[in-house]
Amino acid sequence: MPTTEFGSIQFAEVDWNDAVCLITYGPLPDKLFLSIKAVGLLQIPLLQRKENGLLRIICGSRRLAVCRELGLQPLLCQILPDSLPLHTCLRMAIYDNLAHRRLNPVEKSLALTKMADHMDKSEVIEEFMSPLDLEPSVVLLERYEKLAQLEPFVLDALASGRLNERVAFALTPLEQTDRLALFQLFEELPFSVSVEEELVEMVVEIGRRQGIGPAEVINLREIRKVRAADTKPARQRAQDIRRHLQALRSPRLTARKERFAKEVRDLKLPAGVRLVPPPHFEGPRWNLECTFESGDELAARLRHLTKLADRRKFQRIMKSLC
Amino acid sequence: MNYRPERLLIEKPVAENRLVQRILAALQDVPVDWVDRLKDDPTSRNGKVLEIVKFQGRFIKPCPGTRFYTCCGYQILNLGVQCFLGCTYCILQAYFPNPNLRLFGNLEDMWQQLEEHLQSSPRRVHRIGTGEFTDSLLLDPLTRMTEDLVPFFAAQPNAVLELKTKTTQVDLLESLDHRGHTIVAWSLNPSSLIASEEAATATLEERLEAARRCQEWGYRLAFHFDPLLVYPDWQNGYSEVVDQLSSAVDPGDIAWISLGTLRFMPSLKPIIRQNHPRSTILEEEFIPGLDGKMRYFRDLRVEMYGYLSRMLRNWHKDLCIYLCMESNDIWRESLGFDPAECGGLSDILDGQALP
Repeated sequence: MPTTEFGSIQFAEVDWNDAVCLITYGPLPDKLFLSIKAVGLLQIPLLQRKENGLLRIICGSRRLAVCRELGLQPLLCQILPDSLPLHTCLRMAIYDNLAHRRLNPVEKSLALTKMADHMDKSEVIEEFMSPLDLEPSVVLLERYEKLAQLEPFVLDALASGRLNERVAFALTPLEQTDRLALFQLFEELPFSVSVEEELVEMVVEIGRRQGIGPAEVINLREIRKVRAADTKPARQRAQDIRRHLQALRSPRLTARKERFAKEVRDLKLPAGVRLVPPPHFEGPRWNLECTFESGDELAARLRHLTKLADRRKFQRIMKSLC
Repeated sequence: MNYRPERLLIEKPVAENRLVQRILAALQDVPVDWVDRLKDDPTSRNGKVLEIVKFQGRFIKPCPGTRFYTCCGYQILNLGVQCFLGCTYCILQAYFPNPNLRLFGNLEDMWQQLEEHLQSSPRRVHRIGTGEFTDSLLLDPLTRMTEDLVPFFAAQPNAVLELKTKTTQVDLLESLDHRGHTIVAWSLNPSSLIASEEAATATLEERLEAARRCQEWGYRLAFHFDPLLVYPDWQNGYSEVVDQLSSAVDPGDIAWISLGTLRFMPSLKPIIRQNHPRSTILEEEFIPGLDGKMRYFRDLRVEMYGYLSRMLRNWHKDLCIYLCMESNDIWRESLGFDPAECGGLSDILDGQALP
């Protein structure tokens, strides 16, 4: 630990715009207000005296902000000398936070990005990724570096947990309008994380196929219609949108499914009997499910089913092209 | 396509090998780094370094088929890995993140393993190819491997060598005594796709001209429509390829023609997106196949195979056409038969293999 002094500071001495060592992101927690109001500041913030005489916050930015709002000055702080290198201060900030809480994805991104300005990527990966609960890899490091560049509305959602970092990674390469369009959809309707990832990919690919941007895909009339149908439960609308996008992305498979459904209806299978095609109609393994409640019922259904394989309508179902 | 690495990175244990000496003689002014054992050093990996290492694994292996789709019983002779032709769909991008070309220098081990392998099953027909993890002829002007391989296979009563390439580097083949035991093969695609998806390869015309020359030198040929790629005018595109093929070579000397639509491991998708952002091959409709690889929806595959096989049979009805890694139901629907009815695909191709 470098030499520090203790001193009482005035808030006017703090350079509130200097965020070079700050990795904290998110709103001030109400309980911090409550705690400081009730028992005062228990942990002393750490700052660094800059060449211009102002103070740079190293650790305790939230505590300082709360004290400022509560007008608790002068305030006892620890002051580092200006001779201390920035990366040493930044490292203190990261380890201080790591020691007592789990960082949100934006904070992880800030920590990694800021350290990467002072160290080789390989050193950042080795020293910080595991302590940040991240798999040490250059690909993941680069993904996190890009997160920090996203718009505040995405960062806020990430920090608060409304948006998962996997989905944010998928949104990162998109244009801002496209990102916003998808983000709003995810804010509006309940999708799982994996479905959100799937939707980003589908929307991009549909756009490429149709020669339009992802935002335009989200804005297609049918999608707008589903979103606007607010008499339906949100979960139902989310499922409808996913189904609709799947149909746009996989028109042949969708047509085949629809044709299959119609042909099975035409077969007039007995009640309790269900014909199940292979997943995606891939491979030769079809299933016929039969439920029954008595031996007579089973016998009747089996009599019906023995003739099924010879029926032209059934044979037609098994063929791909008509 | 004159390949000239910026640097050679060679493991000392293979320093005295003939292949290394050949390459050093051919690239006298290229700097060489000698290492005991090549480490995973990402900084050395820009694709412009030629690595020569001691290969610790098996040089000859069966082609990695799966039980879900009909496999042809091909065998792979692994002489090196990676390729710089930059085909957008290439699986090597996922298999080998290191872009450097890597050759295996301990060829004495390769020859020993190959001989033992052929002797271990003398009654079996061995169809062996070197084009699985690299292009068979990509570095041939430098390595001159065909000068050793072609005569070796010429002396094997039960084996053929298939050299698969997208290049025109066939010059060394002219004077070799092949005795019909080497088949020279090209993968084919419409010119527009070659330009957009196989940008650093030879053009269709150049490939067919190289094939014509090989045929003139008595080699039998093979062609692989693999990967077949869907694009808006694919029917006309592939018809033109068949037309050009029919004008270039005599069908009587074609050992086989394979058809295989694009398929890829899901992990390749983001790599293609990153390495080839302009490629359109991922925009078609894919489903996960029984082997976990992404494939075109079956109806489309059946349509493509049916279309291509009709075109090819219209040209020459006796062509041996097979599907690469497809299930029996797709065979029946597109080619009209199931290979199991004819003794199995492996036997069909074995029957075509030897001169």
